[in-house]
Amino acid sequence: MKSLSIACESGFLKSIAIAGILVAAPMSNSLAAGVTADDIKNDATTTGDVVSYGMGTQGQRWSPLAKINDKNIKTLAPAYTFSFGGEKMRGQEAQPLVHNGVIYVTASYNRVFAINAETGMQIWKYEHRLPEGILPCCDVINRGGALFDNLFIFGTLDAELIALDTANGKVVWKQNLGDFKAGHSSTAAPIIAEDKVIIGVAGGEFGIIGMLRGFDAKTGKLIWERPTIEGHIGTLNGKPNGMTGKLNATWPGDLWKVGGGAPWNTGTYDPETKTIMWGTGNPAPWNSHMRPGDNLYAISTIAVDPDTGKIKWHFQYTPNEAWDYDGTNHTVAFNNGGKKLAAHADRNGFFYTLDRTNGKLVNAFPFVEKHSWASAIDLKTGRPIETGMRPGNPADSADGKKGSVITVTPSFLGGTNWMGMAYSQNTGLFYVPANEMGMDLWNEPVTYKKGAAYMGAGFSIKPVFDDYIGALRAFDPMTGKKVFEVKNKAPLWGGVMATAGNLVFYGTPEGYFKAVDAKTGKELWQYNTGSGIVGSPITWEQGGEQFIAVPSGWGAAVPLWGGEVAKQIEGINQGASLVVFKLY
Amino acid sequence: MSINIKQRFYFKIFSSLSLIAAVNFVYAQTSVDPLDAPTWETVHKTMLFNEEVVFDERVKVVVPDVAEDPMNVPVSVRVGDIGEIEEIRVFADLNPIQKILNFYPGKIEPFIAFRFKVQQSTPVRAAARTKDGVWHVGGHWLDATGGGCTAPSVSSGLANWEDTLGDVKSRLWSRKDQPDRLRFRIMHPMDTGLASGIPAFYIELLELKDSNGDLLAHIESYQPVSENPFFSLDLESNRYQGLTLTGHDNNGNQINKVLQ
Repeated sequence: MKSLSIACESGFLKSIAIAGILVAAPMSNSLAAGVTADDIKNDATTTGDVVSYGMGTQGQRWSPLAKINDKNIKTLAPAYTFSFGGEKMRGQEAQPLVHNGVIYVTASYNRVFAINAETGMQIWKYEHRLPEGILPCCDVINRGGALFDNLFIFGTLDAELIALDTANGKVVWKQNLGDFKAGHSSTAAPIIAEDKVIIGVAGGEFGIIGMLRGFDAKTGKLIWERPTIEGHIGTLNGKPNGMTGKLNATWPGDLWKVGGGAPWNTGTYDPETKTIMWGTGNPAPWNSHMRPGDNLYAISTIAVDPDTGKIKWHFQYTPNEAWDYDGTNHTVAFNNGGKKLAAHADRNGFFYTLDRTNGKLVNAFPFVEKHSWASAIDLKTGRPIETGMRPGNPADSADGKKGSVITVTPSFLGGTNWMGMAYSQNTGLFYVPANEMGMDLWNEPVTYKKGAAYMGAGFSIKPVFDDYIGALRAFDPMTGKKVFEVKNKAPLWGGVMATAGNLVFYGTPEGYFKAVDAKTGKELWQYNTGSGIVGSPITWEQGGEQFIAVPSGWGAAVPLWGGEVAKQIEGINQGASLVVFKLY
Repeated sequence: MSINIKQRFYFKIFSSLSLIAAVNFVYAQTSVDPLDAPTWETVHKTMLFNEEVVFDERVKVVVPDVAEDPMNVPVSVRVGDIGEIEEIRVFADLNPIQKILNFYPGKIEPFIAFRFKVQQSTPVRAAARTKDGVWHVGGHWLDATGGGCTAPSVSSGLANWEDTLGDVKSRLWSRKDQPDRLRFRIMHPMDTGLASGIPAFYIELLELKDSNGDLLAHIESYQPVSENPFFSLDLESNRYQGLTLTGHDNNGNQINKVLQ
């Protein structure tokens, strides 16, 4: 005598019935309030949490907290160190988030940890199983996640976007961002714009097509896709939503079909103008002789409507780019003199101040000492004044196999790289983690093959100065005046944070987490975290005390690609931890 | 043997049911662990939350006396006629991960067979919960040389495991005077997380639905279920076609297959 399903009647099975991509109904954590779209919009001014990448969706990496300040910083000391554990270390490039007394941080190999922010005890851990054939360009790093409602959302090296339940680390939904075997991967933190989660994709060295996507943050449903290379068609709710640019306007022949332009870093969201500003990477291949033209919208900031994925405006930093000067650096919104502006320190060595309502150039100046590829930026046209220092065309060589070699600055690792600069609302200055490196560069013929490097270039990186590579530099974005610099022997590869305590925080590969005076650059405090810092710090307030957290763990692109520079830093040991500080 | 409180309780229930139910009472039920394992009190607490329990030989757990391959120990659980079964939990007292599988038979027979990994000699138990909330527990001692849970999966050493991840092969056949037998295999490493440097990676949920999409059965599986696991289930004869199997692993990878 078989009855109907007892379990169904009990309601148990109903609660886990799944639809579409939803993996599991979110576990009931209704006691803890989830993160709302307003929480995220207001993140920069609320000091009790950090619920967005950039410590505010405008990406200023600024905190109004001043409990820790230039007067009392001497007593700043670790409250605890949390180990990411395991046998896996490598680069720790994340920016943590904090909400309701819980820290959410990603680690190398796509691990995610939820940590009690007061005690440093682990609440849960998620370990993503990575396939063998992933093709990340620059170490098995991850730069962080986004919080929305009861979800922690992050991208993986095998090109998935995964939403975990903040209560227990279980997968709630996930979405595919591309074929990892063709070179797609994801290392950047997604952002939340209104009720959507926005993420790009990496893989420009493999001839993928850059794609920015907006998903319903709650359900993971794809809302829109915006290809970053002209000729490709975007979508909105599954229907075509217009071509990016105009076919063959700035790309010859068919090369746009494998044109790169990967938006591999994180963008920013400006609620004031309701605009997403996202940087795009190099056009593919590196060999620019194959693709005469500006090659839009590679090496640009694209301003995108969060509801439709339409491009409102763009600004291209390096037309017909030939040096791997990705335009992926954060475009940070700030206001000055009643104007809505945005700042962008580009890999090409120049700092740009834009009008963020229309993308028009306001100011541009070099933030590195050496920029031999271009002497300046033409403030009228926004285009670089090139010096003619492009690698030679292989077709001009005797055997057609290798073009003439140039030695050029900056290197392809950039005047700066993925790491976020900070803006102080008190000093009005931007604090840029800059690097002085050069490279030998040459071009070779190349044809596209799925999953194979599509570069057509060879290179070797070298230092420029004997005494330093990295430098934290403070600039006035309106005048271009360099207010101070703090030199560092190794290249800087971590994010910067400014606070109302007249402090600027940043980490070094040598392991030091440092605080300098925001007006003068005078070093006020440092602590060695035991391994190189390539992550981004945050600060928040809890129980009346101000806390500061920074991931520590050496790795990422420099040791892999650094050539002569890598030799200088090979003595730095690996680590994998989150160090949290407070005053004692 | 004196009749304890629990048995009196059952006597009351069964005597109020049909004659068949009353006949069932001749099967041995006891409150003392027939396997005489020192771990019983612990697993009673961790696996069954100290809920009411009776050892009942009608819950048949068939495992070999000795595990020839600790990575692949065949086990079958069949619950005799003790009424409607809401849930069956399968666990091994002395495994480092005790919980093996929870099975909600729903509209199908209270039978399941599969393979699992064993670390050392252990009782292997199944607990079947009847509608009155009582767990009927059966079990068998499994002798094993061990190591099944701390060894890496075979596929974790292969370059292409991701190509076949979640693939399902299945067969449904009818048998004379018996329920139809459904057997399916899912490609999955089922890593326990106890092998050095390899995170836990395992199928968490499987749901069997009929062609209308109605749920027939529900399986929650855990790390000890064997790599590329087989499952066998019994279904009412000649009733089902176009069954679908859906589910996911702990990384959110989907399983979705119309069974042939």
